[in-house]
Amino acid sequence: MNTAKNIDKAITSTPSDREIRMERIFNAPRERVWKAMTDPALIPQWWGRGRKLVVERYEFKRGGHWRFVVHDEHGVNGFEGRYREITPPVRAVQTFEWDGMPGHVIIETVVLEDLGDGRTKLTNTSLFHTTEERDGMLQSGMEQGANDSYAALDEVLARLG
Amino acid sequence: MVQYQAALDRSFSALSDATRRAILLRLGSSEVPLGELAEGFDMTLTGLKKHVRVLEDAGLVSTQKRGRVRHCRLGPKRLEDVTSWVAQYRTQLEERLDHLEAFLERTKGTP
Repeated sequence: MNTAKNIDKAITSTPSDREIRMERIFNAPRERVWKAMTDPALIPQWWGRGRKLVVERYEFKRGGHWRFVVHDEHGVNGFEGRYREITPPVRAVQTFEWDGMPGHVIIETVVLEDLGDGRTKLTNTSLFHTTEERDGMLQSGMEQGANDSYAALDEVLARLG
Repeated sequence: MVQYQAALDRSFSALSDATRRAILLRLGSSEVPLGELAEGFDMTLTGLKKHVRVLEDAGLVSTQKRGRVRHCRLGPKRLEDVTSWVAQYRTQLEERLDHLEAFLERTKGTP
């Protein structure tokens, strides 16, 4: 969620009608960000969003299969896909699919940019396949637009305060 | 939420069959007459109609008879589920990046 505090470093946009793009600036060098994202010993420490994560499969190479399973009080959720492109420490492209929505495959492209001052800019672009997904995305995009407006308002209020 | 889960369960059991999944893929974004839909599958029209009815009961497909031809297209339920799923995906991705950021902060100074 965007707040007044981080509005300048967390941006979500919809560059085309089938894409969601998220940009983040991390206060860490690119090699460290790449390692956190690709080391199977480190992935469980953040990917599960505070929930237990089991890396069931991790073939980190082009065409390789990944499968992560998240366990929480509501049950078990599996996520999986294949790596399409890996260019350390700059770029990775993978497919993403949730067990609960079989056949809906998202293509995720992550690019890490070294900002030269010890910080790294991450850009994640998610490409959807179908028009229904696009419609769903546009709907969620409208909600996001509203959130962004509130965040901007918060910022103005904070300045006035 | 419980109601939503029940609807999802119905969708998932309708989706448990390979033919029915293929029907949904075939429908994609367009409307297809039942007869034409049947041509793509190695089964009788009666057999196909049964699958379409299961999908229709789950709200995944809707059909409409115009003249002598019954037309099939994706139903309202499916759109709703896909919408919730995409919204959920988006929230999860944002949270995941938040947790990655927190992880990088708390492991600062390590290689």
